[in-house]
Amino acid sequence: MRPLTSGERRILENRLMRQYGVEEAFKDLILVMAGQKRIRACTREAYEFSKKLRKVQQLGIYVAKLRGEDVVLSIEGSQLLGDKIKVNVIDLDEDEAIEWMKASPIRIKGEPTGKYVVARHGKIYLGSGIVSRDGKIYPQVAKWRRIPEL
Amino acid sequence: MSKLIMSDDLRRYLDLIPDLDLELLLEAYERPLPEAFRTNTLKLPEEEILQRLRDKGIEFRPIPWARYGYQAEGGVELGTTLEHMAGLIYLQGPVSMAPVEALDPKPGETVLDMCAAPGSKTTQIAQLMKGEGVLVANDISYERVKALSSNIQKIGVLNVVVTVMDGRRLPRYVKETFDKVLIDAPCSSLGIISKDWGVAKSWSYRVVERLSRLQAQLLRAGFETLKPGGTLIYSTCTLTVEENEMVVDKLLKERSDAVIKPINLPGLKHRHGVTEWNNLRFDPSLKHTLRIMPYDNWAEGFYIARIVKEG
Repeated sequence: MRPLTSGERRILENRLMRQYGVEEAFKDLILVMAGQKRIRACTREAYEFSKKLRKVQQLGIYVAKLRGEDVVLSIEGSQLLGDKIKVNVIDLDEDEAIEWMKASPIRIKGEPTGKYVVARHGKIYLGSGIVSRDGKIYPQVAKWRRIPEL
Repeated sequence: MSKLIMSDDLRRYLDLIPDLDLELLLEAYERPLPEAFRTNTLKLPEEEILQRLRDKGIEFRPIPWARYGYQAEGGVELGTTLEHMAGLIYLQGPVSMAPVEALDPKPGETVLDMCAAPGSKTTQIAQLMKGEGVLVANDISYERVKALSSNIQKIGVLNVVVTVMDGRRLPRYVKETFDKVLIDAPCSSLGIISKDWGVAKSWSYRVVERLSRLQAQLLRAGFETLKPGGTLIYSTCTLTVEENEMVVDKLLKERSDAVIKPINLPGLKHRHGVTEWNNLRFDPSLKHTLRIMPYDNWAEGFYIARIVKEG
């Protein structure tokens, strides 16, 4: 685990701006690269304290993954950004939100402009999904987070 | 219908547990634990989360001793709800919320959870810290840390450092560092047999003796990491004296700066820690520790001691 360099941070911010219209992403937080292009966020105080410790396994939470030229936001990453997400955000009703959390594809409403969208159900943000040419959005929900199919 | 099977060791030992009503204990073991949860105020305001649950027809009542804690009514299955999977609620036994309430972590403090996996108490501490200060969540097992990490993620804890090491080694790196320390020690689990009847079948006194030595070492190490003036909670989910009062008594004998303080958790039924048992005499201040039988609240059984480092 290492903190993102200022250059890497700028690249992430630019991508978040381009994809989701986010300005000043994760501003007061330390971002660390944690393998496989996964980015975690923690408070500055926690990061500084971790230097005293041995066998540090993790800091804070996983917020985003770099995929090619794009950024996939985790559920918590999108919740942290919240209403800073201005574009490519779709609103789901309760049933759709449950389907999203089962990682079931959702039919696109309107015309999404991006390759990725963030789902929102009221004030709950549910992470990124991939917009597919078949007219559906495929939620990127980790297996362990999915609502099990009965 | 299956029946609770107890090892011979356990049958013999139950007669030794002070102040125990065996009939009630067996009844508690056969009852499922109540479905309880905490609202996660790190993600949304409490009232908004509760309203979402009410809108779904879920009924609940507050747990008097736990901020943000509720007991669901009417046998609802909360584990597959959107609120659970999105991290708006966290499922946790009602009495299991008591040790962190006794610890009373505050925003801005430096807190250690020494045996943190799977993270119920870690996430509860984080919530009470409101994202301010530093929380170190440690566990000895890489395997168990996976569950800890998942729960930290779901709750959205930003001020946490997760370490994987034997808690007994922590004072080498962080001596007299923490304002608050929680040691929810590995134990023989007599307070939560209703969760897993297999524990009763395989329960052995040898394991209790081994755990008691380990618990004393963990407590000693945890106390060393505590700042003067800091507070440590030692808790287990078991009922044996060897894993509870005897462990704390050992620390009190070794460390003159370790002082037992009373615990005030409104509405939590409990009895006092024992000070005499099986021809042994313990420090009289142990009467201020809490011994909670599974049938006291028809939930988990626990032991909780609050220790302050003077200075």
